[in-house]
Amino acid sequence: MVKYIKPIKIGQGGRRKSRSGRSRTPGEYAQENTFPSMELHDMELHDRQLDSDLQSNLQQLMRILDDCSDVVYREFAPAGDGHPGLALVFVDGLVDKTLVSDQIMHSLMLDAPLVRPGDQFTGDGAFKMIRERLLPYQQMMETGNLGRVIDAVLAGETVLLVDGCARALINDVKGWEMRSITESQTEIVIRGPREAFVESIRVNTSLLRRKIKNPNLKIEALKLGRVTKTDLAVAYIKGIANEKLVAEIKERLSRIEIDAILETGYIEELIEDSPRSPFPTVGHTERPDKAAAQLLEGRAAVLVDGTPHVLTVPFLFIESLQFPEDYYERWVVSSAVRLLRLVFLMVSLVLPSFYVAVVTFHHELLPTPLLLSLAAQREAIPYPAVFEVLIMELSFEVLREAGVRLPRQVGQAVSIVGALVVGLAAVQAGLVAAATVIIVALTGIASFTTYYSTGFAIRFLRFPLLVLAGSLGLYGLLCGLLALLIHLASLRSFGVPYLSPAAPFHPGEQKDMAIRVPWWAMLYRPRLAGTANPRRETAGLEPAPPPPGQNGPTGDEQ
Amino acid sequence: MLDKGKIGSLQAVFLLVSMVLPTALLYISAHTSRHAGQDGWISLMLAVFAALAIARLAVSLARRFPGQTLFQFPEHILGRWPGKAVAVLYVWWFFHMNAEIIRQFGNFLVAAFMTHTPLIVFELLIVLIAAYAVRGGLEVFTRANQIILPFILGLIIITNILIAPEIDLKKLLPVFSDSGAVPVLKGAVMPASWLGEIVIVAVLLPYLDRGQKAFKIAVTATLITGLILLITFVTDIALFSPQLTVAALFPELSKVRIISLGNFLERLEAITMGIWIAGGLIKISLFYWAAVLGSAQCLELKDYRPLVLPAGVILLALSVMLHENIIEQVNFLGAFWGPYALFLFQTGIPLFLLAAAAARGLGGQERQ
Repeated sequence: MVKYIKPIKIGQGGRRKSRSGRSRTPGEYAQENTFPSMELHDMELHDRQLDSDLQSNLQQLMRILDDCSDVVYREFAPAGDGHPGLALVFVDGLVDKTLVSDQIMHSLMLDAPLVRPGDQFTGDGAFKMIRERLLPYQQMMETGNLGRVIDAVLAGETVLLVDGCARALINDVKGWEMRSITESQTEIVIRGPREAFVESIRVNTSLLRRKIKNPNLKIEALKLGRVTKTDLAVAYIKGIANEKLVAEIKERLSRIEIDAILETGYIEELIEDSPRSPFPTVGHTERPDKAAAQLLEGRAAVLVDGTPHVLTVPFLFIESLQFPEDYYERWVVSSAVRLLRLVFLMVSLVLPSFYVAVVTFHHELLPTPLLLSLAAQREAIPYPAVFEVLIMELSFEVLREAGVRLPRQVGQAVSIVGALVVGLAAVQAGLVAAATVIIVALTGIASFTTYYSTGFAIRFLRFPLLVLAGSLGLYGLLCGLLALLIHLASLRSFGVPYLSPAAPFHPGEQKDMAIRVPWWAMLYRPRLAGTANPRRETAGLEPAPPPPGQNGPTGDEQ
Repeated sequence: MLDKGKIGSLQAVFLLVSMVLPTALLYISAHTSRHAGQDGWISLMLAVFAALAIARLAVSLARRFPGQTLFQFPEHILGRWPGKAVAVLYVWWFFHMNAEIIRQFGNFLVAAFMTHTPLIVFELLIVLIAAYAVRGGLEVFTRANQIILPFILGLIIITNILIAPEIDLKKLLPVFSDSGAVPVLKGAVMPASWLGEIVIVAVLLPYLDRGQKAFKIAVTATLITGLILLITFVTDIALFSPQLTVAALFPELSKVRIISLGNFLERLEAITMGIWIAGGLIKISLFYWAAVLGSAQCLELKDYRPLVLPAGVILLALSVMLHENIIEQVNFLGAFWGPYALFLFQTGIPLFLLAAAAARGLGGQERQ
């Protein structure tokens, strides 16, 4: 449920006071409330009760939902003697129309009378009858609160009002158009499940539940966003996730007072440990298998209605190099690929600045033939190396950004322009050296091998490093890298050091780091914030061929 | 406690190795062989023993006062003002030592790599990063060090393997006959004063996850550092002979320049520079942290962070003003640093404090 805050007089003194300190109580937050009228509105609604008169109820609803053309009010008479006195209220497009007309209206209007033969008609009696006998739905609630009725209508439920009764029946007949489950567009694997989360939180929780059929998979619901009233869910596995972690997440979520939650990014920025860092300390995924694996490692997930991205916490730096397929493909190859990613993570960060530093300051580091060929290439170039690389990097970033934003029909044009103009023509025109183009292209490709948000941070950090390398050579580059390392070492994600288990180093936690050991050797979950149940599997599962002769001839014996 | 961090035993060993190794690595051969010639390895071994004794001393002293650092317990031993005076002396020492290190750092970069860049540019950048690390706290640069040190050790090992074909161990002969005891002892002073920086465990002890292992940690770190320095010294001498080693400003750098592997892997000075910068950063950060922490504890502040930037300015100014040029610094360190650091701060004062504490029967928990 939404927490409704008592409206407090907005006094200037209070405002000033609340700005001064960093941590504020919810009361002080309320003083900064920018929607006093809306808040009052909500308050008032939730204080108001339904009337026993149908017409006055409807009028109240119409007044509140004034100018909401998608709300439907359908008054009708029940079966049997002509008691005028039922009304359905719902939002067109949010309910399943066939259910409403075939089930609710059909059964009430045509099938059964509201009063047992011989009984006197009363509103309360009819209400009871409908509730207990006439409407065949699993999920049904009753309320006498006007605010609750409004919330239900707007959430896509159907509200049935009965004349003479001050209560309303809320039927869950939600049904709206939504995207069906499709293949993940952004996290692609060759081997592994293809399905991805969708925009509906209900479907998403079902995807998780289908993977983990265990009563300990808890999915706690809450609502956030004063205006949007978005549904959220916190998922974790009780007994595996650290209880303190779960409590911390719920506590941080409960602190959020914002008008709208439109994407998980809103939540991410409001709950993360290091809000000023370019590096992500909250993970996100649109793959149910990855989310389930995270839960099984003792992490918690936050699902938000309206987006296919699910947040997972804590998020450690090493996760930037871990992908679901690592765990599905053979471990030797997966480990090699992971090492490759690590190398190219460094390449995508350092290569352009290293090139600039070497070309500008440290010619002695290059073998002589390479130096000569580079010098020949750069002879006609009018700019210093750092400027040249900066321009090329910028053009690459522009191409990439344009490639994402451009309508699909013009996408072709971008790649042609990119390949021809930025690559070939720039070299032929003597604007940049061919080596620079190679460097920039390699860097650009390399940054796609890591987790997207980390790659994003690295893309951004390349530029300060370039400037440092261009002005102070290798010394500047090294200093930049060290500052970056210090920064990474200072980060935490929900209390877990970001670089763990490399720093602080845990010898027992290295099985899923640079090398992913086979499943039969991965006996323990990562420690993270201290999982309650570290053991993953029994020891000694390593498979081996049966002893000779046990299962008949081995084939060598003929 | 001003810094809420706690570091594990392995982290502490790594930190203490990084504290001594990078600076010592670059200067040890020249400083040691100046006095002891090819017998410097004996000096080094003596220095290791001296450092072990210093570690024992510092741990015994600090363990009497659990939860207190070197800047706090002198007050309990000597009374409020004399104790404060001792603490301030140590704060000064950490400032001074750090300024010397920063100056060495800058000198090295200017002399070996970028002769036209002003010294202050290098120093400013590294002090800024160190300030960032110190603001983050002990845990932060300790963690960073856990990534850095393996690289440093790996690079040192690789250079020494690559240099192996050029080594001529006969240059280490004759043993002891032409030097004698006094030069060997003299040669031990400088390395002992570097290895003796292990006295910082008296500051680190309250921040150790397992304080009871402090001595073991210090011993492990000293032995690792001593071993690597020994290998470095032996290879340097076996490559260049003692005479050339003394003449070289940075023997380690000349050594790396020799490496050539199939016309492909050569001129690897950048590696030395990397070691020096990365290790130097950790070393500077640790002493910077100690100085700032000590200042805050002397002044009984609640937080040391406001002192970080002013202390950085002091460090920077001090490091620039201390010496005219690199030769003057080398001479100063060679002539005065040994007695000043080794006999005053690393052995003299701690011994005096321990004796006073024992005499006054203060802090009896040492045997726990």
